Amino acid sequence: MQNKPLSFSVDIKLRKTNSKINFDFSIILTVIVLSLFGLAMIYSASGSTMLLYKQGIYFLIGMMLMFIAAISNFRKMEPIYLNGVWVGFFFLILVLILPNSGTTNRWINIGFIGFQPSELMRFLLPISAAAYLSRNPQIKFSDWLVVAITTLIAFLLVFFQPDFGTSAIVLLSGLVPIVLSGMPWPYIFYSFLAGLAVLPFLWMSLLDYQRERVFTFFSPDTDILGSGWNIAQSKIAIGSGQFLGKGFSEGSQSQLDFIPESHTDFIFAVIVEEFGFLGALILFLLYAFLIHRLLFVARMSNSKFAKLVAGTLSIILAAYVTLNISMVVGIFPVVGMPLPFISQGGTALVVNMITIGIILSLRRIN
Amino acid sequence: MNLNQRQSFRSGQEYLRSLLFLSPFILLFFISLIQVFNLTIIQGDKYQTIAESNRIYQKTINPVRGFIYDHRGELLVENVVQRDLYVTPAYIENPNKTLLTLSDLLGLSFEGLESIYFSRALKIKNYDSFPLVKSLNEEQIAKIKVNIDLISGVEVISSLKRYVLHDQTLAHIIGYVGDISLVDIQNDNSLSEIKNSQIGKTGIEKEFDFILRGKPGYQTQERDVKGKLVRVLDTEGAKDGENIYLSIDKSLQTHLFKLFKGRKGALVALEPKTGLVRALISSPSYDPNILNSIVDSTLVEKLFDNQDSPIFNRAISGQYPPASTLKPFVGLAAIENRVISWEKKIRDNGKYFVEGDPRPYRGWKENGHGNVDMRKAIIESSDVYFYNLAYDLTLSGIKPMLENFGFGKKTGLTPFESSGLLPDKKWKLGYKGDFWFKGDTINLGIGQGYILSTPLQLAVAYSGLANKGIIYKPLFIQPSDEKTYKPEKIAHINLSDEGGWEKMEKALIDVIAARNGTAHKVFDKNSKVIAGKTGTAQIKSILPGKEYDAIRENPLLRDHALFVGYGPVNDPKLVVAVIIENGESGSEVAAPIVQSAINFYSK
Repeated sequence: MQNKPLSFSVDIKLRKTNSKINFDFSIILTVIVLSLFGLAMIYSASGSTMLLYKQGIYFLIGMMLMFIAAISNFRKMEPIYLNGVWVGFFFLILVLILPNSGTTNRWINIGFIGFQPSELMRFLLPISAAAYLSRNPQIKFSDWLVVAITTLIAFLLVFFQPDFGTSAIVLLSGLVPIVLSGMPWPYIFYSFLAGLAVLPFLWMSLLDYQRERVFTFFSPDTDILGSGWNIAQSKIAIGSGQFLGKGFSEGSQSQLDFIPESHTDFIFAVIVEEFGFLGALILFLLYAFLIHRLLFVARMSNSKFAKLVAGTLSIILAAYVTLNISMVVGIFPVVGMPLPFISQGGTALVVNMITIGIILSLRRIN
Repeated sequence: MNLNQRQSFRSGQEYLRSLLFLSPFILLFFISLIQVFNLTIIQGDKYQTIAESNRIYQKTINPVRGFIYDHRGELLVENVVQRDLYVTPAYIENPNKTLLTLSDLLGLSFEGLESIYFSRALKIKNYDSFPLVKSLNEEQIAKIKVNIDLISGVEVISSLKRYVLHDQTLAHIIGYVGDISLVDIQNDNSLSEIKNSQIGKTGIEKEFDFILRGKPGYQTQERDVKGKLVRVLDTEGAKDGENIYLSIDKSLQTHLFKLFKGRKGALVALEPKTGLVRALISSPSYDPNILNSIVDSTLVEKLFDNQDSPIFNRAISGQYPPASTLKPFVGLAAIENRVISWEKKIRDNGKYFVEGDPRPYRGWKENGHGNVDMRKAIIESSDVYFYNLAYDLTLSGIKPMLENFGFGKKTGLTPFESSGLLPDKKWKLGYKGDFWFKGDTINLGIGQGYILSTPLQLAVAYSGLANKGIIYKPLFIQPSDEKTYKPEKIAHINLSDEGGWEKMEKALIDVIAARNGTAHKVFDKNSKVIAGKTGTAQIKSILPGKEYDAIRENPLLRDHALFVGYGPVNDPKLVVAVIIENGESGSEVAAPIVQSAINFYSK
């Protein structure tokens, strides 16, 4: 079964391996557009050239890694992918052991750069899971169990950092391959019930500030200067952008620091304030297009592994985009996750770009 | 991986399973899009307004309050720079922490700051600020400036503090300014625009507040989330208050104030020909600057708790029996009503009896003054003579003349003066629940009993004597050109015998000049010739017997000493009324002040 050539795609003939890669250039272009737009918005929101340069360097690193991943032969990479999860666990445990700053254990600092192991895990876990589940033609029940337990451990490690939002993503990144790989529906159903039963215990183990965020979500306007401040200010910024926005670097809410975390989690509010509904609509279309193209890769893939990886990574990306935006517009609790390719944050950008590279590599034609 | 393996993986199943995960995100995605549409397009205008009010801050620029000068252009009241610490509660996340830092920096007690902060912060709306600490010293300002980045919502604002010169001398004329209270705003809504400035509370500061105050300006500022000024968007300048020139003569005022030596009493000195008030004293006085900028509230409490009521303006609000100073007016009423002639003598043996009343009405001199005519009755202040006149005149004969001279009604100098009391039958029935007796008329004849007048009223009434019947409205404001100034006439009293004025004046001159005059003690041939009348106001009516010596034991029950006079008589420059509370002898304590005033002013 031969692949149909994709629209917007270009074939690249690799000299050494004598094989061809079928690149979907529309995906690369979209990613570059989003990332460059992100750089501009980070500058607008923070007014800091230092942050801009830093993010710019991560962008270049990300671009490089994306192309390396894209031209690599994913079949040869499978053993590496299978064991990637151990790297993730190594760092997750390391971050717990290392002396922490403040109340959370999220960062590992190597010299002047820091990265978040949890960001790494939500990318390594689904790839390893996909590799594990597709190493044999027939998946045994124990395979699913292994993946499920691995996922649960990874989830708990991130959850108790504590990082509410990313832990949910890590959980999702492990569960998606299980379900996509064809776990029978009754199992899925019972696992879901078991998950529900555990929820109250998780709720009790939440820290006060996390619970407060959930409460805040349900009544953001009651105390505008108190806990609902973030959401209220974010909505004011978005609303005041109106149709065309106030113009680049002209948003009063962001420029005068009324928006919290304006260059990271709440950058979407800055975008709408400065570019209006029209800007938001274009951004929505870009993301919709990108995710659609990525899912299309998954659908057209002829290997189980490729389908699992491409499908899971696309779903995770979709989760990030929608959860971040719905949080910023005030229809979802503030869980603290970045907007892919746009929010300031090196680890997320690099990981997202490698993800794209891997998905691109799955379109390899022998 | 072989072909079979690939086929066993059913793509339809996989598609369905992907949708299982994707559907909630697709749903959220569309709800988010709808929400963005809702916020930007449907509610966009509302959020635009909120965003504007977030950043835009309207700051009131207080106008500079007008200065006050005396009639020669001498500065009486100015403004001096004061730096206050203002706080904006909306920018203060943790008040206790901020207050603790401030108490450390400023060296003030935390409890004190706490009580001021929480009493005002709760009433503050939006991004309004209020002064937390007033009159910072240089060291405090330096410490705040160095640490200003550590404490958000705090700023040092320079403002102008009202400052009255010459210590206590001018207190009752000028009055003081104070913060705008909720009651003030209820009375005048426009004050809510200048909440943090001050308005006049008493005296000239209050009466002419509308001139002195000016109009506030506004500055539209852009501020960031911490309240730091980003830029000024628009400025509309304030219109400063206008200066006021008072009729007061600073040097006369200071000179006379010293003569009081802190004794309780009052003085009003005005020009009879214009009504311009040249000096006005109420003693004891206070330093209005204590109230202009309240730095130490215990000082203020002390001031208001003081038994001698230094805040009270005795000159315009103190109501005293005019006593013998009323006699010239009763005398003129008697001549006018033909119950007596200038020459007719009456026997004064110290006592006067009304039929049906065994109680004698005593004169101040135990054995009387012998045979007295009008001149002698004024000079020696015969009570029995005036008992006779009052009896013959009856109330209806006395009252119109006293009314003409302004007794019982406000003179019109300020809205804050008292009207005194000119009693009549209706008043007595209403307020005392009793009928008017002949004895009441007899007491009225010597300015005792129910009649009360303010020192201001006495000065105004005597200006009528000085002007031979014409009384001008007393005035605090200096006319721009005194020479062309036409004073407002408030009374014109005609006597059927025009010569009566001079005859009365002669008698009043002899009060000092004649050997038997009650104020002859102050006679000085170098002094200007003064026409005046002594008075001794009884606070407690004396029953038969020599009880006054017993009453004297309590200094607060001693008689008030009065002297009202004008001079120099050939061209009256000044009419002066002086009352010294519990001073007993008008000739000894009050007359010298009047004499000094006239001599000082007509130099």
